[in-house]
Amino acid sequence: MTWTDELRRLLRRRKGQPRNDEPGGISCEEAAERLFEWLDNELDPNMEERVGTHLETCARCYPWLVFEQSFREAVSRAAQHHDVPPELRDRIIASLEEDEGMSSS
Amino acid sequence: MSANAPDGSFQDEALPQMDAVYRFALSLARDPDRAQDLTQETFLRAFRNWDKYTPGTRIKSWLFTICRNHFLQREERTRRHDEIVADAAEEDPNRISREATVFLAARGRDPEGEFWSRIVDGEVLRAIDELPDEFRDVVTLSDLEELPYQEIAEILEVPVGTVKSRLYRGRRRLQHELYDYAVEQGIIGRSTQSSSADAKDPST
Repeated sequence: MTWTDELRRLLRRRKGQPRNDEPGGISCEEAAERLFEWLDNELDPNMEERVGTHLETCARCYPWLVFEQSFREAVSRAAQHHDVPPELRDRIIASLEEDEGMSSS
Repeated sequence: MSANAPDGSFQDEALPQMDAVYRFALSLARDPDRAQDLTQETFLRAFRNWDKYTPGTRIKSWLFTICRNHFLQREERTRRHDEIVADAAEEDPNRISREATVFLAARGRDPEGEFWSRIVDGEVLRAIDELPDEFRDVVTLSDLEELPYQEIAEILEVPVGTVKSRLYRGRRRLQHELYDYAVEQGIIGRSTQSSSADAKDPST
């Protein structure tokens, strides 16, 4: 089986046919559609619980969840390198003090 | 500084956001010098308009909005903006098929995505910087600054649905870019099945 066949098998449409025997009572496709919203804490509590249950207990979806979480952590970590330069911080403070002095004079 | 702002909370609320505003300014301007000017002007404007801010509300969003408005006043991005909006408006009919492609391309060698953590931070930032403006803005505001969709929508003056769409597409582009980099650098072994470029259209 090629990886494209595997992809089609993995993602075959089952929308509108939630099965009680599937984690969270939702299909893999439904969980996939809401993966980002779940990671971003954008779902209502009921859906958040269902999607979370599915993603964390489904043997097929869980690896994808871990993969996306690893990606998110890498981006978040990289962002910490863009803190404001110290000289800019000093310059901003100075400009605010100057502006304050001008407005009060 | 004394900074006797109208209610005295400017130092407590606004100034701690300087790193975040600078990061957002960098994502807008793509140039450190211009980002510094933009950050400084943002805080000056915020200081002068502090009486219009309700203490204890969404300070980061308020500052980002000032920052973006000032940037747009200075920069003519209309043409590029329209192009990207038109591009983003095209719904991807193969959304789900495309959604997992980087994951599927990588899982034969690194199913948990450990290679993400081995990509140097500078390369991640470079890849973010090279995203088209509208994708970069939402990725920055969501993944770096962790703002909710609604606040991002208000800052960028677009519907929440557009935020979701751009976020999805921006992340996918970023993943493809970084995955290709990881393969080229040997950070992740080349799969026998695919490169990211192959994975972009599994139907072919």
